[in-house]
Amino acid sequence: MSTDNNASEAMSRRDELEAMLPFYLNGTLVGADLAAVEEWLGADPQALAALEEAEAEFSATAASNEAIRPPADALSRFSRTLEAEAGPARAASGSSSLARLWDRFMAVPSGVAWATAAVAVALVLVQALVEPGGRGGPVEIAGTEQGDLPFVLVTFKPQATLADVSAFLADQGATIVSGPAPGGIFKIAIVATTGAEYDRIVGLIAAQPFADTVTKGRRPENGG
Amino acid sequence: MVGMTAAPGQQTDRELVTRVATGDRAAVRLLFMRHHARIYRFVARQTGSDMMADDIANEVFLELWRQAPSFEGRSEVSTWLLGIARFKALSMLRKRKEVAIDEDAAAAIPDGADSPEVALMKDDKAAALRRMVNALPEEHRTVIDLAYYHAKSVTEIGEIMSIPVATVKTRMFYARRKLGEALQAAGFERGWP
Repeated sequence: MSTDNNASEAMSRRDELEAMLPFYLNGTLVGADLAAVEEWLGADPQALAALEEAEAEFSATAASNEAIRPPADALSRFSRTLEAEAGPARAASGSSSLARLWDRFMAVPSGVAWATAAVAVALVLVQALVEPGGRGGPVEIAGTEQGDLPFVLVTFKPQATLADVSAFLADQGATIVSGPAPGGIFKIAIVATTGAEYDRIVGLIAAQPFADTVTKGRRPENGG
Repeated sequence: MVGMTAAPGQQTDRELVTRVATGDRAAVRLLFMRHHARIYRFVARQTGSDMMADDIANEVFLELWRQAPSFEGRSEVSTWLLGIARFKALSMLRKRKEVAIDEDAAAAIPDGADSPEVALMKDDKAAALRRMVNALPEEHRTVIDLAYYHAKSVTEIGEIMSIPVATVKTRMFYARRKLGEALQAAGFERGWP
């Protein structure tokens, strides 16, 4: 993991303006940031030289990307695959995002005592995340203690059960903090203070039968 | 995304996704034609593999086909697709253990037979800069690609990469500083850093 997550304090105002130039060039800078860059460009002769450097980077990046040629028959091959596909998954009429989430991976065997504290916390978080305004998709929890924890991104196999997931969460102190993002991705916060501990828990997740894909996210810097 | 704005009389991406959600295969083909090349390039830059880029780009559009009903327009369609593409690329890389995704992972795009030193001597500044962009660590090059080539905002890049906005800015800062240092080391003038 990069060390630049904690480096913002070391950036001078000039550095911040330099970092915003690419977004000035691509037209996505707005508000106070846009005003600051425009003021800088108007007041500092060095700013125009900096803008030229950014323009050169812009051209170089575009050229590097455009040099990559997709296969000419990509559309025809995709069309053949598409014809074999069933229709899109229909959103359950009248069902909430949480209900769909339950349908997705919480096929609870009858009689299973699944209401552990960890699961309850996880489900409350999930409900809080997917319910407001009826909007699913990728979301972050701002201002919660989970926001600064190491995390991992996970997708679950369709046959994953609540019992499997809840047992693991309870044992590891892991918590679902956001999701599902596109592709059914869930962000799971992990209580780990060292990189080795983080790696161990991520390895355990990957080994679980309920886990489909596991992608490392924020990892503690210390301890390997 | 640059060039993805619908022309007059042309349906927007979001309108097409709405059609896809009803099972309209023609609509997903239209979206494929609009976005496939950029998704393919994005994945190729992530993985350094044409084969993986081909597979993953197809999977991204199949995911679009399957998940269109759940798209609620919170993001631009292109941002949604890039987010799916990045996750699938990272997942496949980890499964195959071909590339370590960390600070030390350099771009795997091959570019010519000359050694970097020889090539730099022969290059003009523009060519050198292209080589240096390609050689940035993955997490820095991706921020550069998403801003300069995919025309994404700070917020959108954070969404695609699942990182905070502040991290996007610091990664951009270090990416640009590394480019500046590399240019200076190669003997080219640079105003910053």
